[in-house]
Amino acid sequence: MIKHLSVLSFVLLFNSCTSVENRINIENIEEVSTFVSNIENLLSELEFLKLEVLKLNSSKPSIQRILNEADAFWLRGSLDQTNLQLERALRISKNEGSIYLRLAHLRIEQGLNKEAKAFAAKGLLINNLSNWERLLLNVYLQHKDL
Amino acid sequence: MNINLRHFILFSLFLLLIVLFAFISLINSKVTNKLEGVLWTVPAKVYSRQMVIAEGIEINKEMIIKELTLHSYTKKSLPKNPGEYSFKNNSLSIFLRGHEEQNAGLFKINLSNDKVVGIKRNDGIQLDLIRLEPLAIGGMFPSHREDRLIVGWHQVPESLIEILLSVEDQTFFEHHGLSLKSILRALYQNVLAMDIKQGGSTVTQQLAKNLFFSSKRSLGRKIQEAIAAILIEFHYTKEEILLAYINDVYLSQAGTRSINGFGLGAEHFFGTTLKNLEIDQLSLLVGMLKGPSLYNPRRNPERALFRRNLILDILEQKSIISSIQKLELKERPLSVVSPKFRSETKYPAFHDLVRIELNKNFKDSDLRTQGLKVFTNLDPVIQEALSKSLKKTRLDLIRKYGKSLDEVEGAAIVVDSTNGEVRALVGSSNPNSFGFNRALNAIRPVGSLIKPFVYLTALKDYKRYSLSTPLDDTKLSVNLAEGGVWEPNNFDKKFHGIVPLHQALWDSYNIATVRLGLDVGYEAIKETFNSLGIENEIHNYPSLFIGSFEMTPIEMIQAYQTISSNGFFTPLRAVREIRSASNDLTFSYPYQIEQRFRPEPIYLLKSALQQTFIRGTARGFTKKEIERFQAWGKTGTSNDQRDSWFIGYAGDYLVLIWLGFDDNRESPLTGRTGSFQVWKDFIKTINPVEFKDNRRELARINNEWVDLKDGLLSGPDCKNSINLPFIKGSEPTFTPNERRKCRVKEKDPESSIMGKVKKILQDLTG
Repeated sequence: MIKHLSVLSFVLLFNSCTSVENRINIENIEEVSTFVSNIENLLSELEFLKLEVLKLNSSKPSIQRILNEADAFWLRGSLDQTNLQLERALRISKNEGSIYLRLAHLRIEQGLNKEAKAFAAKGLLINNLSNWERLLLNVYLQHKDL
Repeated sequence: MNINLRHFILFSLFLLLIVLFAFISLINSKVTNKLEGVLWTVPAKVYSRQMVIAEGIEINKEMIIKELTLHSYTKKSLPKNPGEYSFKNNSLSIFLRGHEEQNAGLFKINLSNDKVVGIKRNDGIQLDLIRLEPLAIGGMFPSHREDRLIVGWHQVPESLIEILLSVEDQTFFEHHGLSLKSILRALYQNVLAMDIKQGGSTVTQQLAKNLFFSSKRSLGRKIQEAIAAILIEFHYTKEEILLAYINDVYLSQAGTRSINGFGLGAEHFFGTTLKNLEIDQLSLLVGMLKGPSLYNPRRNPERALFRRNLILDILEQKSIISSIQKLELKERPLSVVSPKFRSETKYPAFHDLVRIELNKNFKDSDLRTQGLKVFTNLDPVIQEALSKSLKKTRLDLIRKYGKSLDEVEGAAIVVDSTNGEVRALVGSSNPNSFGFNRALNAIRPVGSLIKPFVYLTALKDYKRYSLSTPLDDTKLSVNLAEGGVWEPNNFDKKFHGIVPLHQALWDSYNIATVRLGLDVGYEAIKETFNSLGIENEIHNYPSLFIGSFEMTPIEMIQAYQTISSNGFFTPLRAVREIRSASNDLTFSYPYQIEQRFRPEPIYLLKSALQQTFIRGTARGFTKKEIERFQAWGKTGTSNDQRDSWFIGYAGDYLVLIWLGFDDNRESPLTGRTGSFQVWKDFIKTINPVEFKDNRRELARINNEWVDLKDGLLSGPDCKNSINLPFIKGSEPTFTPNERRKCRVKEKDPESSIMGKVKKILQDLTG
């Protein structure tokens, strides 16, 4: 019972953070355990992770502008330019989960999985992370394919 | 005419034709080679980092003012022109000169308690950030010492073309290299003067002359120039010729380096890009072409002003500007920046590091010819402050200790602890001189700076060691593998009995440290060294644990960077990115990161090293300052005080100082009395803004009050107690009877109702 409640609260947290299209419809799922496997499958998808990471914003307008520039380079496939922009953002603000998460995912695309995990681990040391950022950082840190 | 004579004449004509053809071919190959080759051999330029002022960031306003001063901005009550600023009532107005990534213009920055609360453009539009131009700090010059910044069409203001052609060649788009009208006019003037007084050169002829021939005026030279000019016109379009001219003209001399082209001219004289120059500034540069030395605005400002105003008169005559505009432009001062930072290589020690990094990826010839732009991590304000602190403290020490310190040398490095970017580097007591770079190349015994590595090795094994683990600092005799006995001694020549581990570190006890090193073992120590990035060979000598080990200052700060960055190793970087002459990204040195240690033992180590400032060898800062900077550090003194070291962290800067003699002689300086004094002066000068360390409280860390002497449980109300962090499970458990009363049990989170519920739920879920 308690275990099921824990999973349910996790799903509620997941649904409150993620975008509408990715939310899990609780009513249509009969077994709570299916929730878990669905979530696990979803979080193991790197493309899903990237989409979620790109949705993370900064509360600082200057950082947000640089993140937008970084994302634009990323969508065009300029990984080096994306990295330069993210490093610029990090110089201005060293405590932003949204930057560490982008750096972690960028490193995966650059084939640097060990560094991706290191950025996730370093990001987890930040104090003011949102629950969703913390969850995603943990996913990168513990991702079985990395 | 007989046949022989006719043959002779024909043969002579044929020979003449061949010679003429060979002559023209020679000039032709020179034209194409030079215009497509040598002209574009542009040395790489090295720049500092750009200062970013962003809304919401913490920034020290004195640092902005210092940066503006270094960029030759002048303080005015009301800034109206590029390169001016004002500061009153926490409001800073800067008229930026602009660069590739930043428009020129007036910007108003509102500050509150060292925080940027708003940035507005002159028209009231709010901005989130502005960037100051990077400072040019040197280059990689080729042997001919010609320096230029190549500009493309998009970087050339239209007004430059108008001014240039109005003054130098009005019929440029009509002639084919030569202007008969100009030649006849010059000829008439020269005949009148019975000397060569005036040239009738078109822009194309001037380009030909600048590229191939000396400034000597003779008929032969003029013919060669004329042929070359016609050939240039034959090979290239008018636009290509004009652009080559704009990039080639000689404007000034800076030391042994010549300033060529309007692109570099704009930077050299006005500290900005060509695109940002206004008509008065462009007129000054164009006016200089007639006599770069005679009309040099720094050397002969009055003549330069006269010449500029003459050009403005011409522009009015040609209806390029109105008479009102002319009067307004004539009122303007020359506004030439100080040559302080426009000369050759600044900060030679930092340049050495830049060169080492570049040489890994670029050929020397590419650096000298490709016009690359090297953007570094150098912070010029930090670099200046570091150089000054080293020089000033060194003189203070010489005054205090006498002439025996006359030849004492120094090295200093500042690193951004988060990302390993090198902000400043000094390699000598005379920071502006080239020569032996001690920061990179002086291999010195490291003294006690090595001890934290031994303690870190122990703290990693948290089941055996904590900060309160008792260590034995009584007499020790170690049997050496090669025979003989070694007996270490403490700096104060005393034994201190049983001491807690944290005190043995911040009080830097040798004997306790050797025992700890022997206890954890050489293999574990070697593993820590490797994780910190130390690649030097490590021998199994017990004296290793107290600093009988040699490293360079840069290697040492690299090792400490991993500690300051909470266990994440990052290779230090002087260079950020390299761009081509047309500003495309060519190469970048990305932020690399690898987790080498868990954050918990690092947290414990830093906590003990903070005691160096509170109780140990780095006393001298107030409690408030220590908290604000989150300072921690370590002094080091090698045998017979041959080396004085200090490494410390403050406000996210990791700063290393070394003092000593090149010939390795003894000095009166310890780590505290020497290098720490430099460090202190530097940190008090830059006064870093409060670093809001948002580091999450580590879940596996518990804080406990323990006794300073025996390391057993104590309380905040007990005498000689200290609050120390422990990795969960490694806390002391015993409270001596005499401290039971003064030990106030901290509120147990599990004793509350919610805590109990939580525990039951945890038990149920396993």
